[in-house]
Amino acid sequence: MTVKTLTINDQLITASAEQTILDAAKEAEIKIPTLCHLEGVSDVGACRLCLVEIEGSSKLQPACVTQVQEGMVIQTETEKLKEYRRMAVELLFAEGNHVCAVCVVNGNCQLQNVAIKVGMDHSRFPYKFPKREVDLSHRLFGMDHNRCILCTRCVRVCDEIEGAHVWDVANRGGQSFIVSGINQPWGEVDACTSCGKCVDACPTGAIFRQGSTASEMTCDRSTLEFLHRARTKKEWTR
Amino acid sequence: MKKIKLATVWLAGCSGCHMSFLDLDEWLLELAQKVDIVYSPIADIKDYPDGVDICLVEGAIANEENLALIKEIRQKTKFIISFGDCAVTANVPGMRNMLGPAETVLKRSYLELGDITPQLPQEPGIVPELLDRVSPVHEVVNVDLFLPGCPPNAARIRSVIEPLLKGESPVMEGRKMIKFG
Amino acid sequence: MSKTIVIDPVTRIEGHAKISIFLDDAGQVEDARFHVVEYRGFEKFCEGRPMWEMAGITARICGICPVSHLLASAKTGDKILAVKIPNAAEKLRRLMNLAQITQSHALSFFHLSSPDFLLGWDSDPAQRNIFGLIASDPELARSGIRLRQFGQTIIELLGAKKIHAAWSVPGGVRSPLSEEGKQWISDNLPEAYETANNALSLFKGILDRFETEVKTFGQFDSLFMGLVGEDGLWEHYGGHIRFTDSQGNIVADNLKEEDYKDFIGESVEKWSYLKFPYYKPLGYPQGIYRVGPLARLNICSHFGTAKADQELQEYRDRAGGVATSSFFYHYARLVEILASLERIERLINDPDILSNHTRAKAGINNLEAVGVSEAPRGTLFHHYQVDENGLIKKVNLIIATGNNNLAMNQTVAQIAKYYVKGNTMTEGMLNRVEAGIRCYDPCLSCSTHAAGQMPLQIQLFASNGELLDEVFRD
Repeated sequence: MTVKTLTINDQLITASAEQTILDAAKEAEIKIPTLCHLEGVSDVGACRLCLVEIEGSSKLQPACVTQVQEGMVIQTETEKLKEYRRMAVELLFAEGNHVCAVCVVNGNCQLQNVAIKVGMDHSRFPYKFPKREVDLSHRLFGMDHNRCILCTRCVRVCDEIEGAHVWDVANRGGQSFIVSGINQPWGEVDACTSCGKCVDACPTGAIFRQGSTASEMTCDRSTLEFLHRARTKKEWTR
Repeated sequence: MKKIKLATVWLAGCSGCHMSFLDLDEWLLELAQKVDIVYSPIADIKDYPDGVDICLVEGAIANEENLALIKEIRQKTKFIISFGDCAVTANVPGMRNMLGPAETVLKRSYLELGDITPQLPQEPGIVPELLDRVSPVHEVVNVDLFLPGCPPNAARIRSVIEPLLKGESPVMEGRKMIKFG
Repeated sequence: MSKTIVIDPVTRIEGHAKISIFLDDAGQVEDARFHVVEYRGFEKFCEGRPMWEMAGITARICGICPVSHLLASAKTGDKILAVKIPNAAEKLRRLMNLAQITQSHALSFFHLSSPDFLLGWDSDPAQRNIFGLIASDPELARSGIRLRQFGQTIIELLGAKKIHAAWSVPGGVRSPLSEEGKQWISDNLPEAYETANNALSLFKGILDRFETEVKTFGQFDSLFMGLVGEDGLWEHYGGHIRFTDSQGNIVADNLKEEDYKDFIGESVEKWSYLKFPYYKPLGYPQGIYRVGPLARLNICSHFGTAKADQELQEYRDRAGGVATSSFFYHYARLVEILASLERIERLINDPDILSNHTRAKAGINNLEAVGVSEAPRGTLFHHYQVDENGLIKKVNLIIATGNNNLAMNQTVAQIAKYYVKGNTMTEGMLNRVEAGIRCYDPCLSCSTHAAGQMPLQIQLFASNGELLDEVFRD
């Protein structure tokens, strides 16, 4: 295993060559905010929350998909980054219909938490109020596209951990949305095993358990964490 | 000491933020020593006065009168606080924005559900016309401070008003102060 | 020349409204109208939402009585799930509703209306509010504030939030009362009783001075509607719907909320966002009826608790049987506070109130249901149609204050005719017109599913409809 030495926030750290900046920072107990990152599945660098500054590069890089290199000098908490992160969160709120007050995960929502973390007291971008649908056709779960931030955690957890590949992304850019099956009602997708991993993976109230009322739902990520640990560390019992 | 001129207004919201303000309970007795309420739904002053120091604005901008009033408020007020989620994000009243123009929601209530004389309310100068888009306050006028929450609880409201009365800036960060919902 | 006076905004009421007073050529009041000027559109934008979220969403109709919407919505949800909720859940819901009636009535009496009685109709408008009351009688103001706080705190003890606690849900409630919560209520009940009793004595003491107001603030015959329990017991949550008339006769009884469209019609006038419900068998506008505290006390036979029944007897003696003056709403509210406190006391001593069995779970078993509750301001209906997955297809809401719309209009006209004389309009006269509205404690944020403060503006219109003059009170 090759070891690289680099600096994050003026702290000298070592990491193995295949690690991402996000992993290396985590090991060094340096917290970088994330949203689309989910422990145990591949990273896509979609949410732009984990952006960091790397000396010598004019572009900000997402820490979750950037590999460490020897001698990298990284900053994770500059004013510029803080501003970018806040903008990224504001855009997420402005693009969807996130009515926290009446949402099933109000109080237990990762998007809400990250908004608090970046200091968002309002959105400077005008809200778009897109017209989106709610799918309650599944026996146990529901999908509210109003609350979806297209992080694709559901897509990846279903494909990579459950192996069912129920979810996918349709269209491109601003027209993107998450589909079940071949854009069928979720309840009609035979591939779905009703395992609920997508519910646990969803950072917002977009994928929820049916019957949840406002502010009632919590996500139990312990199952996902267990599966991840079992696979990576070969620990198959709890 | 000169009393601070405090106004509170209620636009397109549910009055929950005002009720939360009243949940300050006995602290209201203390507040009464420090401020003059110069305009409020709980007081009998019909015109928004000049020279208001602080105005708490509950609710989004949903009709022509909201729009006219908020502009007047901006002109006559030193410090405007977007008070609660409806003012800050349009919140629940903004849910009609996804349906397109105001007519969609009006038709349901007054044409489909009115069983005799179904018609859309319309009387210029009396019944203000709805705007097609419900907007947060800061999309219409400059806002000096954002106080989110549905409603912000009394403790949060007090944490904003108390420093302002002393001429200090409230610290709007952390779950206690800026969590939505 | 005839003209119209517009009061804009109407203040110290819970919503956005205006009043127009129409004068004839001789300067005499011909008619008056009460305009509600806000509208938000819940009946439309709830379409497509999961039925389970309706309690949380419709609570946002109103920040004063969110509990009423929580209850009506949850009761509609119970029926869609086709469950009978656990006994404990019903008792807990009742407890929260009683707490709400207490806080809301305290707000209406102390914070909004008492400045009129105590400081005077003609007193300085800049002081005629709760802050003026704090200045003139701080201890009375404090007791009123604390009574409201008592109700609000019970709501918080149950639902973890004072306003918009999404605690009552289809199938029951989310959590029981805690032992500590029960203790807190029990410890604070004596003070609440004391405040309620003091307010009753105070009001009865001044009632005799208000002979003219009693005669002119909505003194007319109408029907009264509300829920009653077994044997006509005063009811606020369950029971069935009853209509009575001004002579005390039962006009219709044992009506079910599911059939509301048979007995309630909704008319629309182009000059208000608030619709005009009417009793269908009598037609519009003859089918005028009143709801809320005044109606509940008229339609019920008794409260079933000692102190409230004693007060009810005295109330009826003072009203001469059926109370037909809307000025009595204030009095009825105080009696209801007392009755609510007695019932709260009874409920917290019920062992069920601490039970953990508070929620029945089920899927979608009915595609349509109507739920009803008595809000502080009157009977509230929620009517939902859902698809087989529980997505809302249609919503209709008939809100407490809306039921009183015809009566509120008749009241402002009556007061205006008595007090407003064309050329000598004073602020105090206009305040009386507004005070007529305040009797109903209208919650316009609810009633149009709207919002708003009620500023007051008076406009003068010529008989041909031309706007001649506008007076803003200041």
